[in-house]
Amino acid sequence: MAAQLPDSTTLLAPGSAPLPSLLSARRLKNQKLARTLRLWVPGSIIIALAFICFVWPHIYSIPPGNTGSILAAQEPPFSPGHWLGTDPDGVDIFSMLVYGGQVSFEVGFAVTGVGIVIGGLIGLSAGYFGGWVDTLLSRVIDVLIAFPALVLALAVAEVLQPSETHLIWALSVFSVPAFARVTRAGTLVVRELPFITAARLSGTRSWRIITRHVLPNVIPGIVTFSLLGIGVVVILEGALDFLGLGIQPPQPSWGAMIAKGQGVLTAQPELVLIPSIVLLIFVMSLNLVGDALRERWGVR
Amino acid sequence: MALAQQVQLQRDPGARHDFARRVTGSPALRLVGRRLLTAIPVLLGVTFLTFVVMNLIPGNPAQLILGINASKSAIAQVDAKLGLNHPFWDRYWIWLDGLLHGNLGIAYSNQQSVNSDLAQHLPTTCYLLLYTLVVSLGLGVLVAMLAARKPNGIADRISLAVSMLGLSVAPYVLALVLIYVFAVKVQWFPAISNSLGGNPLTAIRALTLPAASIGFPLFAVYTRLLRADIVEQMQREDYIVTAKAKGVKPWRVLTVHATRNSLFTLITLVALNLGTLIGAVAIIEPIFSLPGIGAELISAIQINDLPLVEGIVVVFALVTVAGNLIADLLYAVLDPRIRYGRSAS
Repeated sequence: MAAQLPDSTTLLAPGSAPLPSLLSARRLKNQKLARTLRLWVPGSIIIALAFICFVWPHIYSIPPGNTGSILAAQEPPFSPGHWLGTDPDGVDIFSMLVYGGQVSFEVGFAVTGVGIVIGGLIGLSAGYFGGWVDTLLSRVIDVLIAFPALVLALAVAEVLQPSETHLIWALSVFSVPAFARVTRAGTLVVRELPFITAARLSGTRSWRIITRHVLPNVIPGIVTFSLLGIGVVVILEGALDFLGLGIQPPQPSWGAMIAKGQGVLTAQPELVLIPSIVLLIFVMSLNLVGDALRERWGVR
Repeated sequence: MALAQQVQLQRDPGARHDFARRVTGSPALRLVGRRLLTAIPVLLGVTFLTFVVMNLIPGNPAQLILGINASKSAIAQVDAKLGLNHPFWDRYWIWLDGLLHGNLGIAYSNQQSVNSDLAQHLPTTCYLLLYTLVVSLGLGVLVAMLAARKPNGIADRISLAVSMLGLSVAPYVLALVLIYVFAVKVQWFPAISNSLGGNPLTAIRALTLPAASIGFPLFAVYTRLLRADIVEQMQREDYIVTAKAKGVKPWRVLTVHATRNSLFTLITLVALNLGTLIGAVAIIEPIFSLPGIGAELISAIQINDLPLVEGIVVVFALVTVAGNLIADLLYAVLDPRIRYGRSAS
């Protein structure tokens, strides 16, 4: 194409965003505000949750999250001393939420971190080098993705002690191939771009092309994917706790709280509802931040 | 497929007699063949990994069956019966040999054949997944089309909010909330169903809540994906402009032209997801006391029943392979370029 004339069909296509100059200043300002809010409302919810889970217990003293007095069992929400009530064993629900939330945060971020580092390395090398490296790594990724999570999680719980660290490693077996696949797909696209060819022709070493040219261009995709990934990991970790294969009682976790509440669902539905709502808000905020960043960075 | 053959026959009348060349030359069949070949190492890898992991779990299955006070000779007898006296590699080999002959071995827990166990529990899970997929896909396609008709319109915004909810909710949470609302409060559906019974209506009633718990998150993912694809097709593609210029009715452009060409990513995702549904099924089935293989998997893992776990893992791995095959064939149905062997963009 010689002259870059604006294409009238794309400009006037229904549904596509009009050019900024065609909008009134006021509407533009509203749109900008909406964009900011779409990122920062869910973003600040996550920050607030993290603050309550990690900093709050150091400022205010809250009841222990693993033991309670049977005398204070099954107190309804807004009771003195237990503002969210207590469960049938007399454990304070707010404390369980706080300490269980620490586990969810730590596991979610750690598993995703391991996935980004190891999976990212695998995906970058598979995508950049291609050939037999790609074939071999892709087969390994396929096997790991097809491998059922529950079998491994239980083996880890039985062979090693079911602790938070072991849970992180067990769940990483599923985040690593997922991130490897996303990174590989991104690398394959970037690899074909002209500036990579230019870098290669000018004699830049492979590792330098990968770290300085390819990596910065695949990072936005990885970051938006990782936000969705944390949500998935938090739900999965809750599922393992729910089945009794994850964090072991008396250490509190959101999944175990929901499982415990299942037994008294008809009598005390709030025992299921409170941790469920917190879990929903946390995962939804992560997803919304992911969506907002994707929109901002133009990643698909 | 039929159209492809007709065109090929018109182009080359000799092809009618050259059956072998037609079969090997068919791009769709070559695709199927390649897919099957790449599935073999994945199947081997998954079954072997399961074998290794299950063997790492401490405890002798014979001891677990007979109890702590069993005599050494009784344990040796059970070991011999279950083939546990062979070394690790031999056991995997014997198991693979059995798999190729359609025999999945003997479960440790009840010492009956895994085949009969699966035959007993598989139908429930099949009905559940079929129900889930049909409803979530049907609704997903419908809602995606409604939403994509007017991007940022009212239908689009509502569907976006609903699918964000579905994307964020955990299936086990949804199951408990649904039980509380629809089984405890209004009592439209049963909370527990030990068997589906012979009556299809009771079966549908029993499966509705579990299917909704698994299906709502799936529906959310499908809707988001398909909506994004349709919107992109409607805005970017020349054939849409052509169709509109020809005077094709708007709803026909949307359903026949844009949606048909947007289905590829959705089909890929559904096929990829089939295997991972084992996790959702394993969590949801015990909640509703459904006698499916998901509930069976959980109990089998907890008592270290290797043949049963392997049997269930193999079934889902095969389902994934079959799903990917069907997806490949659907691509060929939807896209003539794949039928005629030219690469699709």
